[in-house]
This record gives sequence, C-alpha cells and structure tokens, in this order.
Amino acid sequence: MQRIKRLKWTVLLVVLALVIVGCGDGDAEEEPAATTAAAPATTAAPEPGDQEEPAPEPGDQEEPAPETTTTTAAPAPPPEPVTVRAAVTGDEGTLTPYTYISGFPGWNLLMLQYDSLMQLDAAGVPQPWLASSVNVSDDLTEWSVTLVEGVTFHDGEPLTSDDVAFSVEFYTTNPEASRFARDFRGVADVVVHDDYNVTFVLESANPGFDVVALADAPIIPRHIWESVELPSEHQFAGGTNIGSGPYMLTEYVDSQSYRFAANPNYFRGAPAVDELVVIVFADDAGAQAAIRTGEVDVIFERIPPEQIDLLDAQDPLDVILGPEFATQMINYDASIRPFDDVAVRQAINLAMDRQDFVDTVYLGAATVGSPGWIHPGHSVYNPGIATDVYDPAAANALLEGAGYADTDGDGVREFDGQPMSFEIITNASDSLRLRIAELTVEMLAAIGIETEVLPVDTGVWENAVWPGFDVNNGRNYQIAMWGWSPPVQADPLRLPWLVHSSLDRGFLNLTGYGNAEMDELSEALAVEPDPAERKAILGRMQEIIAEDLPFVLLLYPDGAYVYDSSVYADWEFIAGQGIVSKLSLLPPSARP
Amino acid sequence: MAQYSVVVVVAVTLNFLLPRLMPGNPLALIAGVDVGMLTPDQRADIVARVGLDAPLWLQYFRYWGDIFTGDFGFSFRSSRPIVDMIWERIPWTLLITGLSLVVSAVVGVLLGALSAWRRGTKGDLSMLSGMISVESLPSFWLGMVLISLFAVQWGLLPSFGAVTPASDLEGWAHVWDIISHAIMPVAALSIVGTPGVYMTMRYSMLETLGEDYIRTARAKGAGERRVLFGHVARNTIAPVITVLAIRLGFAFGGTVIIETVFSYPGLGRLVFEAVAGRDYPVMQAAFLVFTAAVLVANLLADLLYPLIDPRTRTS
Repeated sequence: MQRIKRLKWTVLLVVLALVIVGCGDGDAEEEPAATTAAAPATTAAPEPGDQEEPAPEPGDQEEPAPETTTTTAAPAPPPEPVTVRAAVTGDEGTLTPYTYISGFPGWNLLMLQYDSLMQLDAAGVPQPWLASSVNVSDDLTEWSVTLVEGVTFHDGEPLTSDDVAFSVEFYTTNPEASRFARDFRGVADVVVHDDYNVTFVLESANPGFDVVALADAPIIPRHIWESVELPSEHQFAGGTNIGSGPYMLTEYVDSQSYRFAANPNYFRGAPAVDELVVIVFADDAGAQAAIRTGEVDVIFERIPPEQIDLLDAQDPLDVILGPEFATQMINYDASIRPFDDVAVRQAINLAMDRQDFVDTVYLGAATVGSPGWIHPGHSVYNPGIATDVYDPAAANALLEGAGYADTDGDGVREFDGQPMSFEIITNASDSLRLRIAELTVEMLAAIGIETEVLPVDTGVWENAVWPGFDVNNGRNYQIAMWGWSPPVQADPLRLPWLVHSSLDRGFLNLTGYGNAEMDELSEALAVEPDPAERKAILGRMQEIIAEDLPFVLLLYPDGAYVYDSSVYADWEFIAGQGIVSKLSLLPPSARP
Repeated sequence: MAQYSVVVVVAVTLNFLLPRLMPGNPLALIAGVDVGMLTPDQRADIVARVGLDAPLWLQYFRYWGDIFTGDFGFSFRSSRPIVDMIWERIPWTLLITGLSLVVSAVVGVLLGALSAWRRGTKGDLSMLSGMISVESLPSFWLGMVLISLFAVQWGLLPSFGAVTPASDLEGWAHVWDIISHAIMPVAALSIVGTPGVYMTMRYSMLETLGEDYIRTARAKGAGERRVLFGHVARNTIAPVITVLAIRLGFAFGGTVIIETVFSYPGLGRLVFEAVAGRDYPVMQAAFLVFTAAVLVANLLADLLYPLIDPRTRTS
C-alpha cells in the first residue's frame, strides 16, 4: 500500500513537470508567427497597358560606366556584401506612412524605403532629390517641381507627377497620418503638367514649404495605395511597403527586428550597405551592451552623455557628435502670478548657470542655450544674443527692486503675501532632465525662490503642461521642465507656433505668453518672400524672447551616436536630424 | 462555477476600467509626436476612429463583444491586429517562465526539503540566509550582471532577444539559437523564483516534522527514507503545489523586468509598452489573457488538491 501511494505521488509530480515543460518546449520549436513580407521582385515587369511610359531604364545617369577588364590578371573578387545591424529602442510598427510610430527614428526608418521631393543635406538645407529642380514664384504661393526621369518604385513601376499629386491627395483625404496631412495643409491645388512637371498651388504664401513639406513627406505609389481604404489598419499582407527608396523592407518581426535589402536600382546609385538589420531593444542599456559585444554595429538613438567616452574608448567603436536642435528648457505659467511679471522671468533666466548644466549633467555633450531660443549653430541665429548671462547677484537685485522681498527672513521671498515656493513638474523617465531640475532647485534657491521637484509619469507630466495636447485647455502647472524635438527648431518658421498669443497660430504656446510686437512679427514672417528679410525678422524675435522670456531655454543636447568603425564608418550627420538617414547608407558620391 | 463567473465579470470590468482610470492621453500615441500640431477637427476624427468618443458604457459593451468574438481590434500604437500580437508573444513568454518555473520548483523543493530535514544545522542556516539574500536581489540588476559577465565579458551567450535577428538559421542550429537566447532569462528568473519555493517547502516540512504522526511513525520503527517519503513529503507538498499553481497562472503575464532587460519579445514587454503608451485595447486584451490564465491555474490547483490531500475531498 505504501509503495503504491509513493508511486502515485511520484507520477503526479512527474506529470505536472512534464505538462509545464511541454508548454515551454513545444512552443520553443515553433517559429513565432512573424509578419513576414516577401521581398518584392525588383525585376517585375510593369502591368501591361497600365502606364504609357516605356519600361524603366535600369541603372541611372550618375552611375559610372561599367569597368572593362583589359588586363590579363584575374578579375578582382566581388566585394563582400556589407551588412549593418542597427539597434533601436522600441518597435516602430510596420513602417508605412500610416503605421510608423515615432518621429525619430520611426520616420527616419520609413524614409529609407521612400523618397521625398527634396532631401536635407548635411547642413540641414533642403536640396532637390526626387525633384531635379524646384522653383518658387515671387509671392511664394506656387512651387513648381520637375522630377528626375527614370525613377522607379521597388516593383518596377515608374514614379511620375501623377504619384506626386496622388500622394498629396491621399494624405489630405486620409489625415490619420497627421504629419503628412499637415505638411500639405494649405495646398489649394496640385497641377500636373506632364509626367515630370507638377506645380503646388498654395492658399497663401509659405516660405518654408520646401522644408516642412517637400523634404518631409514620402511619395507613395498610386497603383498600390489607391485601393487602400483604411490606411492605418491596412496590413499589406504578402506584399510590402513599396516605395522608391534605397531600401526595401523584406521582413518584420514585431518587437524583434526589421530586415531591409538594398535596392540595387536606386536612382541615385546602389546603396553602400547591402543589408540593414534593425534590431528592436526594450531599453538603451540593452543596446549599449549589444554594441560592446559586437552583436550590433550602430545604435540609431542618441547615447547618453556618460556613455560617450566609455564607448569611444573601446575599439573598434567610434562616436560621432553633431548639433541637434532638441531643447531642454524651463516653462512657467506666464499667465499667473508671479510669472506674469517679466522681472521674475528675467531673474529666473539670470539665475541659470547654463554652463554648469552642460558640464555637470551632459559632461560637455551639449551646447549652452541661447535665451533667444535659436541654436547658435543655426543659420538664422542672432549673434547679438549673449548666452553667458548667468548673474545671480543681478537676479537678486532685480527681484528686490521689483518688490519681492524676504520679509520674514526665512530665505524665501514673498509675492502677494505668499512665499515664492513652487513645484517643478518633470517626467521621471528622463534622468537627465531630472538632474537638470535638481540643479535648477539649487540655482533658484540662491535667488530666494524655493522649489521642489515633482517627478511624475510622462502622461501625467504632459497632461499638466499641455492638457489634451491642446493649448485651448490651458495649463495645470507652475514651473515645468520641458523640451521640444528637433523639428520644432530646425525650421525657424515654426517659431510663431511657440510665442503667438492667438492660440490658433500659437498652438505650441504652452506658457500663456503674449506680446503684441511678437504677434506682428510672427505674421510678417509668414508672408515675407525675401530670405534676408526673414532672417532679420527672426533676429528681432530672438531679441524679444531673450528680453521677455516666454520660457527659459537652458541647453541643446548634442547628438551622439556610436558605431563600429570596422563594419561601416561612412555615417553622415545631418544637422538637426542625426545619422539615421538614407544619406548615411548611400555612397558619398550619391549624397547631395 | 458561479463563483468563477462572478470573478470573470469583476475581472473583465476592472480590465476595462483600469486603463481608463490612468492619467494620460492615448491621443499622443495614436497621432504620434506631432499630436500638438493637429487641428481640433483632426483630433476629433482620430478619437472617433478608435471609438473613444463613445460613452463609457458603450465602450464597455463593445469590450464584452470583443471577448465573445475574439477580435480585439487594432493596437493604437502599432496599428496591428492585437490577437496576432498576443499570439506571437505567448510562446516566448511560456518558454522562459515555464522553464524557470520547473527549475525553481525542482531546486526549491529539493533544497527546502534538505534544509528542513537538517534543521538547525550549520548547512540549514547558511542555506536559509543564502536564500534570503538571493530573494532580495533586484531582478533587473541580476539580469544586468548576467549580461555583463556572460555576454560582454566572456562572450558566451547572446545578450538580447529570443533569436538571432535575420540569421536564416534552420534545424538544430535554430533550436540551439533559441536555447542559447533563453539561458540567461531563464537563469535570472529561476534564481529569483527559487527562494519562494524553498521557503514554502522548508516551512511546510518543518511543520509536518513536528506533527505527532511523524513521531509515531518513527516510534514504530519506520526508516528515515520511509518517514521522509511516506509521511513527510506527502503532507508537505500541498502548500508547495499552491505556490506553483499561482506562479503558473502568472507565468502568462511574463515578467516585465526580465523581458525588458533582455529585450525578450514576451507578453510582459508588450504590456509594459502598452501601459507606457496608454494603448487601451492592447492592455484590455492582455489583461484578459492574464485573468484567464490565473483562473485556469486556480482551477487546476482546485482539481489537483483532492488527489494530493484526501482531507480536501468533498464527496
């Protein structure tokens, strides 16, 4: 009896163990169901009768003539195909114009597969790309584009004016891809003259149309998208993302990896990197470990300042640095006491030791902020704006003179009978921003303003500073750490968005700021055809910002990217965008 | 059965409400970084498209509809069908949590029994304090230490993921690829999971060893082996089964921290990303999977108990 009982017990345990192991092992053999898209055949013949154009010419005009072997020596072996494995932190969806996720690096990966009419060069200036020329009328309302001839999509279909007009129409009638719908907002008509000439007619003058639209929106093929009804839910099952770009997405495994194959028929020349594997990490620590082990060759995200020297010191890793127009700044609610008083805002500005932020928090890998908002490396920077304004004594004198005295001797000044004591709200997930906030507390204490850091979840922080992402909802904060992504500053014509008192135009005006002269300048800027005049207007706007302080700009983090130089080293740093672009992967001769 | 139905209704309701009670706005996720540049019309369009403009009660009934049809719609974040996303993740999660459950169960039970059998000895006490120390290790730290030793320092194991991306491996090479990627996550999970089983086993066994019937068994001359396996083990195992059943239920939830540290594509990471981005439909569907798994594991424990412990048989 005992023996039987013992046996039963043992069997039970073994069965339980087997059930559990079975669950795990059985599944281990299975491939996870991956959204695997077959590589499009680049040699596919055009549909008969589909297009009037003849079959596209292979190759392109910029490619050197094929070498002829005249010597008797054995021909050189073909070069080893170059595969680059890149790390990103976070999945980016299926990477169509309607499903990519983040503005960086999602949009950048999207644009490896597609082309825009213009392309930013290394200096961040738009150059003709799919366009061979771009001409704008004197009143800035008509933009005429001539396309490069012979460009084809990945499936061999030619890219013509018709696809350009279709793209604009598709984005505006399916506004779920909000970025591209916005790009073409204000386009009254797209006139197709012939296969290679098209004119954008705008409702009103837009001097920045080349940067915000022509160099931003991917041109999509009519023959693929015209049958798509719900673009944001369309899965492109079996097919793939057909664009005209240097890379084709051949495989996507959610939250694991993307596989891109080079498009050998790319109109600017075949890419220098034959295969790009983009690996999705859950966090940046994982990506940094993997580049140390050699499991990835480049990280498509900015690396944190404390990693720059560590990674650079390891062979064969190198770090490339460059200007990015991201910002770290202090916002306050300028519509409430005491921040409605310009003296208080100026005092806060004077109390900020910007160099200390750069040295202590960023270990030097940042640029000291201009109180006038625009990066000193930007083409429209007003050199009359000083960046070394740190002067706590002057700040104290300013507050004293404006009547903010410390009457009860507790080290904290008072306003309207209350102590100047505030909360600084910030998102806990950004450790650098958190450290800036902590230093800000010390710097403000030195001028008799008591503050306390309130680190919260990103959603809570956004909702306090920018409720519902709509400035019409007002704000629920006193002081906040804030920052904008590079595009907001890269195009200086967006400056009115931040400072215009009408919430319609100032839809990024998160501080409730208003100034009549600023509003006038903002409106003049939008219709000024002369670039030199626009620069002058922007110069004056920077002066007002530095004086009036709608917000306090602290610094611009530099972009820092790490790569394995033994695998691939020709990375191109686009000012304001970083290294994640098709330019980095094309041979230098094919770059603008 | 009625009890289980009530639990399901309450759990489903909570799954629906919890995401919506969190502060933060899913609009940012749906519209991407450019959310602030939308016109009010565009904003309303987006909210209507994903059904967030409907009154709460209607959204709630739609969620019940989703449950019965098994169609949870599309993720706000990646615009992919949620059912696909969950099915892709489940095998990976079960692989590492299942294996680590087995390892920690076997090691925990054996060491726990050994410790209790030799209670009060130097071996028992040092093992006990060792287990307490291990239990207090933060799992993310443990994961990072494993990565820096086995991947960065010695280059023995891959540092991330479930497979080598774009490797085109087939057959045994593919199997080995999966195993080598699972070793570190399984090790980390097993290490942090063992002390709980060990403690339960040791405590439960100490209690049993103090019972009168054990003394009786010894008094009538039963051998040590007979006492251990015939009397002690059988009366000890019930609480351990409870602990393991609960863990089995939670195994479907994966493990947010370990899956994040190792960039492992399991359910835990999916939920982490969904919560961070307020991806309501993904959260609702994933929570439902967890609920179902916990309930099934509970049921399993309820059914197993009478087999192990005759005293709980109701007939």
